[in-house]
Amino acid sequence: MAMPTRRTLGALHRAICSSLKNAETSLDVQHPIPLYLPVRTKKRYFIPPAVGLKGKRQENTEAKARAAGIVFRQQYFERPINIACTAGIFDPYIPPEGDARLSTLSKEGLKQRTEQIRQSAASQLAIRKIKEHDSVFTTKDFAEKAQEIFIEAHHALTQFNKEKLHSLVTERCYPEMTRGNRYKTICWRFVESLEPPRVVHARCPDMVSKGNLYGQVTVRMHSKQTLAIYDRFGRLMLGSEEQPKDVLEYLVIERHLINPYGRWRLHGKIVPSWAPAKDPIIKTVMIPGPELKPGEEFDALNYEVPKPEAVQWYK
Amino acid sequence: MAAAMTGRGVSFIRSIPSVLLSRLQILGGSQQISCLHTSASLESKTWERRNLKVYPPQLPDEPRRPAEIHHSRRQIKYSKDKMWYLAKMIRGMSIDEAIAQLEFNDKKGAKIMKEVLLEAQEMAVKNHNVEYKSNLFVAESYSGKGKYLKRIRYHGRGMFGIMDKVYCHYFVKLVEGAPPKIEKKTSFDQAKEYVQSLKNRTIIHSL
Repeated sequence: MAMPTRRTLGALHRAICSSLKNAETSLDVQHPIPLYLPVRTKKRYFIPPAVGLKGKRQENTEAKARAAGIVFRQQYFERPINIACTAGIFDPYIPPEGDARLSTLSKEGLKQRTEQIRQSAASQLAIRKIKEHDSVFTTKDFAEKAQEIFIEAHHALTQFNKEKLHSLVTERCYPEMTRGNRYKTICWRFVESLEPPRVVHARCPDMVSKGNLYGQVTVRMHSKQTLAIYDRFGRLMLGSEEQPKDVLEYLVIERHLINPYGRWRLHGKIVPSWAPAKDPIIKTVMIPGPELKPGEEFDALNYEVPKPEAVQWYK
Repeated sequence: MAAAMTGRGVSFIRSIPSVLLSRLQILGGSQQISCLHTSASLESKTWERRNLKVYPPQLPDEPRRPAEIHHSRRQIKYSKDKMWYLAKMIRGMSIDEAIAQLEFNDKKGAKIMKEVLLEAQEMAVKNHNVEYKSNLFVAESYSGKGKYLKRIRYHGRGMFGIMDKVYCHYFVKLVEGAPPKIEKKTSFDQAKEYVQSLKNRTIIHSL
């Protein structure tokens, strides 16, 4: 792509000098020297801008940018901290083992059914504190409201309605619900509730300073739901549309009590250690194998896939 | 847009010697009106945006839609014409075959292309729900011109030429499934067809 041009740099320089000399030699004559501006012909060659760069100095660029009129936005070296919700579940509820496995007619089943929240004193204290700030709070109504919040939040997730989802779900729960779901289609349906929802646990932690109260209430609900997740191309990844499943869930609902505009929002779920394993996804996945020393061979027949520990965790 | 225009004016002013300074200030001002050509500019990355398209869920009786993964690398320091030879070579190959061929190819672009293919394969398994990483084939692969830098190449007798430092983009589209088989026609088959077409000639509207 190197095209030599006809007009050379040297020839142009000589032409300019000779025109200037002509102006100077006519000083002997009495009439005035005409104001002579060298008029250029059309520049036919192109010198790339990188030619003139010889030793850049750092401070010049900033001053020149400001002189040219470029305005830089003020840089804030700040990290935003969210105070509308807490970062986790404090003093989590440990669901008793065998919950929802025993029928109501057996003795142990009756014991579980009649287990009242009044047994735990800390929960009672927490509920009293919540009633100080929120006068409309009752244990019975709240369970129903919690289930409604749950259903509406999941409907907003299927339509991916960000604003509605932010109003129903706390900032800690939002990324957990929506991670990886941006380019997937989720079809979720709440079929029916098998047992009425119950409030099982309540705590009122205060963060940072003493009066900054947040209320966290755990609600237990047993229901039938259908879930089907489709990937980017509309192929089924998980679950099925027709087959409903019985789901026992412990939801944690939170509210910033001091804030008069605070709302009860879904904060997370507690998954007990005895929970049954979830259904696997439809495709086959490769798992990393054991670390071998050099010279060892991988024995596929006798190798057992390591199972994860049965620990309670929160979603 | 105005800030970008004045930025371009500043770079001009900074770099050209002072004799041409005043002339170019006028030029920089007039450019503001005429430069609204936006079809293939820096900002539009159409190829990457094809990965963001979401299809509606398929009904159970429909045939399974094959996954398509679009990947590219921009501003590779290589010529687009030299890159084209490699891109043409791997068109239609399965991904394992393509990676094997590029690994043992001596060209500079082959190493870069192999990296791009491996990245695309990993992306497919991680993000696009592809089940088997070998079940992919190269549906489309081509190279495009990147943004060139211009330099001076000095010739004798004060003559000079403008040298382009070439850059290219490389685009590849992987599709899930086995590579399509192309029926190869032998020369004997083609000759037979020709003879048959000669025999089929007839006179129309005759008695």
